[in-house]
Amino acid sequence: MLRPHQMSSVIITCPNGIMEEVIKELHNLKILHIVDYSKNELADIGKPLENASRLSELLVRARALMAALNIKKGDAKFELKRGLLEIDSTMRRLSDGVGLKIDELKNIDEQLSKKQAARQELEILKDVKLPLENFASYRALSYFAGYVKDNSFLRQEMLKVTDKLMLFESVVKKRHFIVLFVDSKKGEKTIEALNGAGFSPVNFTSISGLKGSAAANLNGITDEIEGLQHRKKAIKKELEKLAKEHEGFLIAADQFLSEQLDKAEAPLKFAATQSSFLIKGWIPTEELSKSIEKVNKAAKNRIFVHFEPAKKDDKVPVKLKNPKFAKPFEFFIDLYSMPAYGEIDPTFFVFLTFPIFFGIMLGDVGYGALSLLLFLMLKRKMPKAKNFFNILILASFVTILFGFFFGEFFGKEFIHPIISREHEMFTLMYMAIGIGIAHVNIGLIVGFVNELKMHGIMHAIYAKASWVILEAGIALLALNYFKIISLSPLVGAIFLAISMLMLIKGEGFIAPIEVLGLLSNMLSYVRLMAIGLSSVILAVIINDSAKEFFRQGGFFVLIGILILLIGHAINIMLGLLGSFLHSLRLHYVEFFSKFFHGGAEKYQPFGAREE
Amino acid sequence: MVAEISTGLIALGSGLAIGLSAIAAAIAEKEIGAAAVGAMAEKEELFGKGLILTVIPETLVIFGLVVAILILNLAK
Repeated sequence: MLRPHQMSSVIITCPNGIMEEVIKELHNLKILHIVDYSKNELADIGKPLENASRLSELLVRARALMAALNIKKGDAKFELKRGLLEIDSTMRRLSDGVGLKIDELKNIDEQLSKKQAARQELEILKDVKLPLENFASYRALSYFAGYVKDNSFLRQEMLKVTDKLMLFESVVKKRHFIVLFVDSKKGEKTIEALNGAGFSPVNFTSISGLKGSAAANLNGITDEIEGLQHRKKAIKKELEKLAKEHEGFLIAADQFLSEQLDKAEAPLKFAATQSSFLIKGWIPTEELSKSIEKVNKAAKNRIFVHFEPAKKDDKVPVKLKNPKFAKPFEFFIDLYSMPAYGEIDPTFFVFLTFPIFFGIMLGDVGYGALSLLLFLMLKRKMPKAKNFFNILILASFVTILFGFFFGEFFGKEFIHPIISREHEMFTLMYMAIGIGIAHVNIGLIVGFVNELKMHGIMHAIYAKASWVILEAGIALLALNYFKIISLSPLVGAIFLAISMLMLIKGEGFIAPIEVLGLLSNMLSYVRLMAIGLSSVILAVIINDSAKEFFRQGGFFVLIGILILLIGHAINIMLGLLGSFLHSLRLHYVEFFSKFFHGGAEKYQPFGAREE
Repeated sequence: MVAEISTGLIALGSGLAIGLSAIAAAIAEKEIGAAAVGAMAEKEELFGKGLILTVIPETLVIFGLVVAILILNLAK
């Protein structure tokens, strides 16, 4: 329960001729965690099986099709009857059709964006009585088109510059729009005049090539855009239909191809010589003899298998071993880091304390019941995240228990509480610190056991037991200070000094600085009370303000109900998030730091699909 | 409701204790969090470590809260 599965290292040597059979059997067994071989002067890595390149090409095509048709990976309910041949022919047919449609879609999108840009420009020019072909480049003539802030004096100003000009004016969306043609020699002066009127230019690049009046063109282009959009919708519908038809096939093909490719590329992890190859890996010791027998049988006894238990400095992949009820909590360990082989696996401790911490922080019968319902529902909806929701369901259940302890129902005291979170802040704070001291010390004990196993009894005492002596010293001094016991303060001081010396020997000169860390670790558990307090007070505020509305009666009752609903919904969200993260943090930061090394690789047997 | 000015000052002091420590924690967490998200983008397995490093400064607020409660207790 507290330790991971025992592992044995396995080396399989076999001739090249039966490589496929061995790989197939190993893939079936899903038991061997293969260690990648890195090429060196002794032996090269193996070559992938012949069909690997074809498989990977097919896989790329299958994934491209899935991306194009917007199909997500999932459970395949489709049966491939003829394997690769079927995949190849069906996919060829499918990708021709889909490819054409996707190309057309791209084409339409391009045209659409062009036409839409043109339409925007035409909208501006709609009221300007000017044929569009005039917007061309001239040698002796410049034109300026754009918005001006103030058009009242522009004509007079321009007449001062030159009398050879044409000025068109219109109003577009309450702004003054002008088009001005002048002799290009007078360009600079014109710009000055325009700047005086607050001119900001508009470029007309999308309408080149159009002829006739803007208004006439506008109608035409709007029709064209509508036509294109219509066509786009039709193509999308066709693609959706194709996706629906072939979803099962593609998912199954993707799965089949990935598996085949896994097998075909497996030799890349092997060491290979001219005529033989060698697989190194790990198998849980309890499954060892059975699986070796099976591989031997598949290879017709033509292989040689060497195995031995894990040695001290081996990099052993770790497979956690826990009873079924604690299994979901392996999720947290996986999220953090796998414990090193030989280290204590903290899953069981997390299983014991995580729901309690969560419950103390949320601690409300109503909130607990609601979140219980929510997570039960979500679990049914998302069976993939089953472990995660199992944790939360257990935590919600404990929340209800603590709700009775604190006597809270949606922030209201509905029974006489054993401890009231609202009024007995200090009791709860001391309780929280007490829990902290206990929890941190459990961590130290686990650390002691770890050190004992890895570095022997002396190191364990110096590095971990010293902390307990330190705590005893501080406790003695404190008790003495508050005159609870009458003992010379010297005794406490001696305890402190001894523990300091041991710490320096066990964990190095940096250790005494950590003393402050230990203190802050324990105080950190005050959050058990703090998060709860803020959640209660928020709930009370929500209830009080709703009550005020209820008292006024009539229409205000509705507002009161609304406040209750929204307020408590927000408070539950905040409470769930806070309780979850802070409970997790107390484990990761305060608890794990007392013993956990971690860093091992996760046991991932060849052939098992990733979850 | 007439409160004495000393009560008001106590409330103010306790508010400052928690508010300022929360700002301090926020500043620390801002930088750590940004770096942690950056690291996670490169390597997703770092989520656990990133989370831990990000929440470490939260202890500051807890200290602030303890002090705030102690100050509030003066009012009684």
